[in-house]
Amino acid sequence: MAGNAAQRTYVPPGQYDEFYNFVSGGFSGQMSVYGLPSGRLFRVIPVFSVDPEKGWGFSEETKPMLETSHGFIPWDDLHHIEASFTDGMADGKWMFANSNNTPRLARIDLTTYRTAEIIEIPNTGGNHCSPFTTENSEYVIAATRFSVPPDGPGGDVPISSYKENFKGHISFVSVDKETGEFDIAFQLKTPGLNFDLSSAGKGKSNGWLFLSCYNSEQAHTLLEVSASQNDKDFILAINWKKAEEYFKAGKGTKQAVRYAHNKYNEETHSATSEIKTDVTVLDLADFEDLAYLIPCPKSPHGTDVNPTGEYIIGSGKLAALIPVFSFDKLQNAIANKDFEAELYSGIPVVKYESALYGEVEKPGLGPLHTEFDDKGNAYTSFFVSSEVVKWNIEKLEVIDRQPTYYSVGHLMVAGGNTKKPFGKYLVAYNKITKDRFLPTGPELCHAAQLFDISGEKMELLLDFPTIGEPHYAQAVPADLIKDRSLKIYDINANSHPYIAKGESEARVERNGNTVHVYLTTIRSHFTPDNIEGIQLGDEVLFHVTNIEQDWDMPHGFAIKGAGNSELLVMPGETQTLKWIPDRMGIFPMYCTDFCSALHQEMSGYVRVSAKGSNVPLTFSTGTSQAAAGE
Amino acid sequence: MKTQDSIIRLHRAILIICGLALATVIVLPIWRIELDAAQYPEGLELLIYSYKLDGQVEVINGLNHYIGMRTLHADDFIEFTVLPYLIGIYALAFVLVGALGRRKLLHILFSAFLLFGIVSMVDFWRWLYEYGHDLDPAAPIKVPGMAYQPPLIGFKQLLNFGAFSIPGIGGWIFIACGVLLTYCAYAEWRITRIPILGLALAFSLQACGSDGPKPINFGNDQCAHCRMTVSDARFASQLVTTKGRAYSFDDVQCMVAFVKSGGIAREEVARYYLPDYSNENKLLPADGLFLLKSESLKSPMRGDIAAFANETDLEKVRKIHGGQRITWEDLWK
Repeated sequence: MAGNAAQRTYVPPGQYDEFYNFVSGGFSGQMSVYGLPSGRLFRVIPVFSVDPEKGWGFSEETKPMLETSHGFIPWDDLHHIEASFTDGMADGKWMFANSNNTPRLARIDLTTYRTAEIIEIPNTGGNHCSPFTTENSEYVIAATRFSVPPDGPGGDVPISSYKENFKGHISFVSVDKETGEFDIAFQLKTPGLNFDLSSAGKGKSNGWLFLSCYNSEQAHTLLEVSASQNDKDFILAINWKKAEEYFKAGKGTKQAVRYAHNKYNEETHSATSEIKTDVTVLDLADFEDLAYLIPCPKSPHGTDVNPTGEYIIGSGKLAALIPVFSFDKLQNAIANKDFEAELYSGIPVVKYESALYGEVEKPGLGPLHTEFDDKGNAYTSFFVSSEVVKWNIEKLEVIDRQPTYYSVGHLMVAGGNTKKPFGKYLVAYNKITKDRFLPTGPELCHAAQLFDISGEKMELLLDFPTIGEPHYAQAVPADLIKDRSLKIYDINANSHPYIAKGESEARVERNGNTVHVYLTTIRSHFTPDNIEGIQLGDEVLFHVTNIEQDWDMPHGFAIKGAGNSELLVMPGETQTLKWIPDRMGIFPMYCTDFCSALHQEMSGYVRVSAKGSNVPLTFSTGTSQAAAGE
Repeated sequence: MKTQDSIIRLHRAILIICGLALATVIVLPIWRIELDAAQYPEGLELLIYSYKLDGQVEVINGLNHYIGMRTLHADDFIEFTVLPYLIGIYALAFVLVGALGRRKLLHILFSAFLLFGIVSMVDFWRWLYEYGHDLDPAAPIKVPGMAYQPPLIGFKQLLNFGAFSIPGIGGWIFIACGVLLTYCAYAEWRITRIPILGLALAFSLQACGSDGPKPINFGNDQCAHCRMTVSDARFASQLVTTKGRAYSFDDVQCMVAFVKSGGIAREEVARYYLPDYSNENKLLPADGLFLLKSESLKSPMRGDIAAFANETDLEKVRKIHGGQRITWEDLWK
């Protein structure tokens, strides 16, 4: 470890970190935001899993965000994060994230640090090879990790008919340059391969997409053995510009599918979920010039394109070397039809040597992922030998290796997947922590390790714990985005249908068995804070509008016995909590977020009476109501 | 109280203690294989007992499946059925030999135990080889030319694991028993070869290994030829055999007579030593000395021969005692 590591990672109180680090939360389903080089955790942004702390998936407004064609799903496995790009550089607008279980893509807004959109991916099993984007984020890629029969009743086939019926699908999800809105433009149907990771070409290779795939054996059981038999699997190179042309020319077929498209509206402060019913599919077998397979040793995991776009690094996780492919050589090989004699399920296979620039000999054991610096070096993570190895791409020579504690999975160089990496910090995201921190029972945190890579040798600076399981991550210079961070929601722009724009609009209305409470919060009281006339059998909706317009002044809301989470309502925002009282009596409600010196006083009562009771529906704040009923 | 065939008490005690110690080996780990890898900072341990495998066997099996190594199961080893009995039998044998105290039995035990040790190690090595090389061709991880045979003893890097193999506590006891048994057998063997029984242990140890003459215990040691006590250092002589054994004599005449009468074959004699008459009677190699024969010297067996390192000394004595100079060869005529 570097001797002055403390100095180099210490960010004095009140000062800012140099980078935002957006880190995948893995099986927590969330995305976390850290500062680098301090390793301080700023925020956990709920994405694919419910988060009672923030009311995500509990408030009526956010529930639609977790809707899918399977219904409401409270959890998923968020694997990778990728920034939105303009000209191959992070532009600081959005972060994209994928869910691996029920295949979806998410877009996180970097002004609100909230999930703005989630779209489900049809025809896909395990959206692992995602959400990697093209040079200008024209498309975010989603691709199947588990090939499956296409969606629909035709999928009811014997598992043993894998080779015949199981297909891969690679989705090209377009991103609106202004609004960021997703749309599944088209899908490419492939043989039943398992797509692992992908990397879009940049610079000279812009217009191409490279995906690692394993299980070229097309096995469907005990994959750890049966999908590890071939000496080489593939990197699939796709000319996506060409595919886009075919799509725009009306090629491909419309397939009836069902997938959810969920959007959060920052003005109504509400999400909507829409089920879409078709997708355009182009079968790779129908086109000669769309896709080429490059043999790659032993079950490749990462496939990564260097900043110039010339080199494609394949990391065969069971291989004893790292192959480096050349984009130029690949183009020549394609032009000269320098292919293997046999097609693989209709797709030409480029000869290994014809695409190969060279091999890094004995780099380590179990290579997984490669990132790049600004000096022509690559950094590869090695799971089995638990190390990060720095090597020179042109010379194919190992320069330095540093152990990680323990078993590194992904690694990230700040800007390491862009055209101009910042090259200052590298973070290794480890799968095993063991003795690195004070023990906390059988379940231990995963850990990140920060290295300074500005010198010839990598220097370990810091260990810090992470949430869930950190897969991929992105680092963006703080200066690029920190000033765009939203402070409050403008209450005048709030068009929530149940907003109370001021205390004068606060009220309680009955509509059959549904009671709408238009509740406002401001330091340090609710309006109204005494409510009577609620009856058993009612469904009560508390529409809580935080009428503060002051930075960092959220209010929370909770009521006794609610089978629900709290609400955490930002200034100018409206959120709704559904409560179905289960007994008669008095129910206190209170603000859950310490808001002021008189926070403890910010509370109220709701009276619940028998069904059909003659207690009238009344509400008040600061006035004593006449005793009603009895 | 001792006969030519019985073992000294110390050795018998050692044998009995070894026998008891050996019995504990049945329930103690005999060998340890430690595995170290970055992601196992706490290490992994495989313990081999006489009757079972212990340690993190399941974890190791889990890891080994990646490289296609067969899983380790105690049932696959016939050794685990036989070994406890064999060790038990040897433990009993140690105690019995100690109790009976027969030298012949000791040597049989020594040979049998040596054989047992060698066969066990060969067998162990064979298993290590088999497991390290007999790999499933369908294994997920195949490194060309790579075998995963752990070392019999010592350290070896096997892919990302460092394998360190050493005896366990039971193994060390086994080795200690072997060493002590070897010592006893050797010491007993030495005793049978030295005519004087009951030599002090220190003397035996000193006697073996060093070249040159051995110290003579004057007033105690007997002349190997005439059986009289060796007491006059001026004339005491000695021969040392090629095997390092020393025979002492009270007179050079006895030594010559001993050899000439076939007490020992001439070719088995490495060196003859005579005392330097003028220089503290230090025993020096006989060839190259100057000899004076004079009856007035009055040696114990009337050989009457004195030996000198140089002529000057000889001449000084000759002035007193008279007599004539002779050569070493003259004595053998």
